[in-house]
Amino acid sequence: MRRMLAICRKELQMYFYSPTAYVAFAFYFLISGYFFSVSFIGYMTTDVRLLFGNIMVVYLFVIPLLTMRLVSDELRQGTDELLLTSPASITEIIGGKFLAALTVQLTLVVVSLIYPWIMSAYGPIDQPVLWLSYLSLFLLGATMMAIGLFASTLSAHQMVSGIVAFAMLLILWMIDWLGDSILVSARDALQKFSIVGRTSNLQKGVFDLPDVFFYVTLIVVFLVLSVQVLERKRWR
Amino acid sequence: MLEVKQVSKLYENRRGVEQMDFSMSRGEIVGFLGPNGAGKTTTMRMITGYLNPTRGSILVDGLSMADHPKKARSKIGYLPETPPLYPEMTVQAYLRFIADLRDIPVREQKPRIGEVVEKLGLQGREKQIIRSLSKGYKQRIGLAQAILHQPDLLILDEPTSGLDPKQIIEIRGLIRELGENHTVLLSTHILPEVNAICNRVLIINQGRIVLDDRPDNIGSSMGETFEMSVEIKGPREDVIRQLGTMPEIGGVKEADEPLETDAETVKLRLTSADRTDIREAVFYKLASLGYPILEMKRESLSLEDVFLKLTTTEEKGAEAETAAEEVEEHA
Repeated sequence: MRRMLAICRKELQMYFYSPTAYVAFAFYFLISGYFFSVSFIGYMTTDVRLLFGNIMVVYLFVIPLLTMRLVSDELRQGTDELLLTSPASITEIIGGKFLAALTVQLTLVVVSLIYPWIMSAYGPIDQPVLWLSYLSLFLLGATMMAIGLFASTLSAHQMVSGIVAFAMLLILWMIDWLGDSILVSARDALQKFSIVGRTSNLQKGVFDLPDVFFYVTLIVVFLVLSVQVLERKRWR
Repeated sequence: MLEVKQVSKLYENRRGVEQMDFSMSRGEIVGFLGPNGAGKTTTMRMITGYLNPTRGSILVDGLSMADHPKKARSKIGYLPETPPLYPEMTVQAYLRFIADLRDIPVREQKPRIGEVVEKLGLQGREKQIIRSLSKGYKQRIGLAQAILHQPDLLILDEPTSGLDPKQIIEIRGLIRELGENHTVLLSTHILPEVNAICNRVLIINQGRIVLDDRPDNIGSSMGETFEMSVEIKGPREDVIRQLGTMPEIGGVKEADEPLETDAETVKLRLTSADRTDIREAVFYKLASLGYPILEMKRESLSLEDVFLKLTTTEEKGAEAETAAEEVEEHA
């Protein structure tokens, strides 16, 4: 556990040192601020639901930027040799890295609370919808971070990892579109796997446990896959 | 301390390590020698647990790397070929991270880091970003990282590569010092380094151990005859004739170095008839003749010769040539 926290702390320091993280954060606030201004001023309403669709789209671009160097950079700099020969297990290494990503994700979510806070000055806000939407945002972001982390274990090149992460996220994002056009018969099944579609209940203010499980399961699956990819490197 | 038992690492399309078998006892400094691509790094990576061997087992202080990887790894300090540093971090933050990673209790971290920083001459650099430091300092931080948790076994992969001569001497001194408290396995393709630091040498070529001996034994054990060179004060012809009559001596050759102009002295290279030491016999013989010996030296095969002999007889060809070139470069 201590080793995991050490790795987490190191990763957070690295976020702090790396320009990519600053660019990603700036991009996130610029675009989400833009969306907020457009919908809030444009529609003159305190309906928070308008916010979330847009923030989720920004995640699609920001999260690959934030996860791409997590493992890739270690592989490129040869520091994986340090981690893998230390007493830390691969589960601890991946766990620590995911914990750091999760902290960053939590920051993104918490800071975006500023938008409903501004809205609340102009009218009442539907509290259950607000908080459950934020829960959905956090779960979605955490899942995307886990997928990005997995993509990062696949290559020693940050850019490749970033693109792979983006592609994987995009596919999971649009998987239910298949059901609308080509595979109409599989529509219901495909919709269950859409990472955005799963947020709709929560964002209506309905707490649906299977949705939460869906995200937690995806996180676990991708973390286990990441551990396996690193474990495989010992057998090269 | 370390047992490597019948370890092989097989790759589909290139040579790995085949049937590596050796052990090290506590306090030894072992030099791991071989041309590039001989399997030094692969072997070290298997010992440190970075790679799993295809076959065979590795025991560190009696603990199997396969069955107790965490415990076994915690007994090892490892400096890979390129020091595993995070260039964005400061020296202090980096060593802190290593201390956490290596389970050093929080209370002991500060004094321990201070100790290591002092030992490696890093004082005054703690607050600097690693990226801004020179290669020599980076190598030292790499060493600091390896010894921070006071490991029983220290594995160093080419610890002096890429350093300037002054830094090389410093690092060698450090390793010798570390050898007093740790068991050290270091790899190199620089031969004098082994003579300078190690008390045992393992030469590997193409994934196999071809020689395992003390560095000062190697020369004599490889030579078929005893060779020596002498400088004698006396008439040239008579000295050569007199020595030629001795039964112990198989051959008398004038040293091919140009002689000094005064014909008072003669330099000779003597070969024994069998493998016995002929120095004493030569001394008494010349003493009885009244020709003083000005200089006498035992000639043994240098590590270079041994290395070339071993690595070229295995497989004559391009690979051996490149090995020879490298030796020349570093000689």
